[in-house]
Amino acid sequence: MWSSRAKYVLNRLIHGLPIIFAIVIANFFLIRLAPGDAAQVLAGEAGAASEEYMRQIRQQFGLDQPLYIQFISYMKNILMFDMGYSFRHGRDVSSLIFERVGATALLMFASMVISVGVGVLLGAVAAIKDRTILSNVIVIFSIISYATPLFWVGLMLIIVFSIHLGWFPTSGIATVGSTMTGWQYALDIAHHLVLPAVTLSFFYMALYTRLMRASMLETLGLDFIKTARAKGLSDRKIVSRHALRNAILPVLTMAGVQVSSMLGGSVIIESVFGWPGLGLLAFESLFARDLNLLLGIFFLSSILVVVTNAIVDVVYTIVDPRIELKGKLAHG
Amino acid sequence: MLLIKSWKNGVRALALASAVSLAAGAAMAAPQRGGTLVVTTTPEPAIITNALSSAPTTAELATKIFDGLLEYDFDLNPKPSLAESWEISPDGKTITFKLRQGVVWHDGKPFTSADVQFSLMKVVKEYHPRGKGNLGPVTSIDAPDAHTVVLNLAHPYAPLMKGLSSLETPIVPKHVYEGTDFRNNPAVNNPIGTGPFKFAKWEKGNFIELQRNEKYWREGKPYLDRLIFRFIADSSTRAAGVERGEIDVATFGTINPVEMRRLEELPNISIAKGGYEAIAPVMMLELNTKRAPFDDKRVRQAVAYALDRNFITKNIWYGFGKPAVGPISSFVKGSGAFTDQGILKFDVKDRLDIANRLLDEAGLKRGANGMRTKIVHDVAPFGEDWRRMGEYIKQALARVGIEVELRNRDYPTFVREVHNKYDFDMTSTWSIGMADPILGVQRQTWSKNINPEVPFANVSQYSNPEVDKLWEAAQTEMDQAKRSQHFHKLQELLVADSPLIWLMEMDLVAVQNDKVQDLITSPLGVRGGLYDTWVKQ
Repeated sequence: MWSSRAKYVLNRLIHGLPIIFAIVIANFFLIRLAPGDAAQVLAGEAGAASEEYMRQIRQQFGLDQPLYIQFISYMKNILMFDMGYSFRHGRDVSSLIFERVGATALLMFASMVISVGVGVLLGAVAAIKDRTILSNVIVIFSIISYATPLFWVGLMLIIVFSIHLGWFPTSGIATVGSTMTGWQYALDIAHHLVLPAVTLSFFYMALYTRLMRASMLETLGLDFIKTARAKGLSDRKIVSRHALRNAILPVLTMAGVQVSSMLGGSVIIESVFGWPGLGLLAFESLFARDLNLLLGIFFLSSILVVVTNAIVDVVYTIVDPRIELKGKLAHG
Repeated sequence: MLLIKSWKNGVRALALASAVSLAAGAAMAAPQRGGTLVVTTTPEPAIITNALSSAPTTAELATKIFDGLLEYDFDLNPKPSLAESWEISPDGKTITFKLRQGVVWHDGKPFTSADVQFSLMKVVKEYHPRGKGNLGPVTSIDAPDAHTVVLNLAHPYAPLMKGLSSLETPIVPKHVYEGTDFRNNPAVNNPIGTGPFKFAKWEKGNFIELQRNEKYWREGKPYLDRLIFRFIADSSTRAAGVERGEIDVATFGTINPVEMRRLEELPNISIAKGGYEAIAPVMMLELNTKRAPFDDKRVRQAVAYALDRNFITKNIWYGFGKPAVGPISSFVKGSGAFTDQGILKFDVKDRLDIANRLLDEAGLKRGANGMRTKIVHDVAPFGEDWRRMGEYIKQALARVGIEVELRNRDYPTFVREVHNKYDFDMTSTWSIGMADPILGVQRQTWSKNINPEVPFANVSQYSNPEVDKLWEAAQTEMDQAKRSQHFHKLQELLVADSPLIWLMEMDLVAVQNDKVQDLITSPLGVRGGLYDTWVKQ
């Protein structure tokens, strides 16, 4: 059972390789369509620069090389997992990314758990209690949170919970300059995580609530539920054993696809909450035309998407064993 | 309603009275040692060694880590720092500095004249974007002994003595940099200086931590144990951090002017004025003098008449500045370079009539829709306040028949199109005038600075032989009175010609928590060493 699952995942990952490769090539050229280069940005930020200075920087960054030479050396490096050097930061791209990937992963994981957990719960409740006040309240709440811009939600939460109530810090991942260690430090991070994670999960939670409600309503009307009811099972058992498992599949599909879009959403959250993650790094490197760094982040996200999709497929097979059977048949 | 208002006024008067007495109390209180100061600034710098970059936030960090040969008082007169005394020869071509003894670098090595020689000639003059402006005529430096340096100049150069602070000419350790590729030296982001604070930690995207230099040569200083610079991308969040007391000092540009006015009303927060005299920042519009309609002086003047500088200062920048009269800021009044006498004044009663008349004379007649011509205004990509100023300019110029299209682009695109291709009609910007006009102001109107390779130079492409001659004369003139005359004449010519429209002298104020004491003690303000700053515990 497990070995076939592993084989399946491996298969999926191998199929992902050409996709990642194509993304890398497309990114390299797409990104160069943006006008301006890193030397101009650095000179602009300096407020003054001499011709000599611009020439030095271009030479140092390799920006004076023809495009095809830049491309060949980039591909050579990426095949060896060398993502290059960020001249702006004076550091290896990989070290910059790995330093910050943790913060983003934590934020994404936390908001994923909140949004899927709360979304499934609210959606299921709204479906079971269909046409009641509770169901209507949930639906209206989800429409409002779906339509509210994330940065506004973030700022409102800061005003209410940080400034007025004083429950949470306004920004950052941990108290700066503190010497906390161990559990104390973990708690400090968790304390800082609450507002950004809740804000980021707001939009997705609304989405999953709607999706879960619709899917649950549909499932509850299917024949096998009628059969279960005819067998004399209690409502609780019908919902938890039969309906929920089936209804949750679309939510999982959606969640898998949205891991990558969450990376985009986290740009806003990270900038509002001063969260030192990857989204913010990508955002800043775009405006600084720090192309090596930007390409590195894109590369990593494309891997992330391919891997996540493979993981979601595995989760499918756990929730619904029929799917694995199909996968096995298809791949012999 | 009336009652409430007077009650409010009463409270305000009381608060003011207590604030005054508090301030008086603070002046008498002895500084306390210890504590941490949290500063927020934006954007996060790319590097933190300002010998190699003049980016504003790089300088904010590096001036705590490095010292200069000199410091300046509020009238911009030199004061000792790493140099204890100095002597200028009668012909102005040699300057001898006696260096302080017993100063050590953060890594424990002794500081000597070789470091000064190396920093000035090999690093700052070659690599700092303003290095050639500050040190250009210095041809060689002799080091007769470990604590003496002699600067040899090709010709007398008055601005030299104004550009030797830690902001402009920081002294870096020769033993760390010599023989390396400076920009790729790891010490660039793990700097070793002689300054009051030592570099401790940089968590990218989050904060930089500096620690007290226990062996600092100013005995007993600095007062703070730690100095932390936090980077937060969103300006509203920065304001919330100040409001909640997580942030002690917010530098200029981190918080919108309207928010600064709101925070100022809070009991524990105030605005720290001063500390930008040596930077003398001025905000302006740059006009493309090589392209119609701004190739015509009358049209440029019409724009200068049509804009209300008082309105801009009061309503767009919430009073953080004062209307500018010309290219040179009144902040440098002490040096005699500034004047408002004999200069064309645009803020006159019938300014709109004059503007309309000038445009008529230039042959720009009103069309069917009431407009004479159409231009594009490239708004400086420095934030929403700049966009708001663009909207005001659009309205104000429409009143005299100039239709304005606003164009907002991201930073690299803006720099390339406007500053590298000169493809623009009108653009907004601000510029630091520095302690001497030669160091800062000259850049925008000297014809030798028309160079599309170099952004933020003479982008108006203004070329006037008379102006060039005056700039060049002021560079070498050593007689203070004669130099001032050159500068006065320059102001007269430039304002009349209006290749740039000078709008406002900017107050680069900081927002601070009231527990912070002695934040602004030099004309560099928060860009100084902050060794006198302390926090009430």
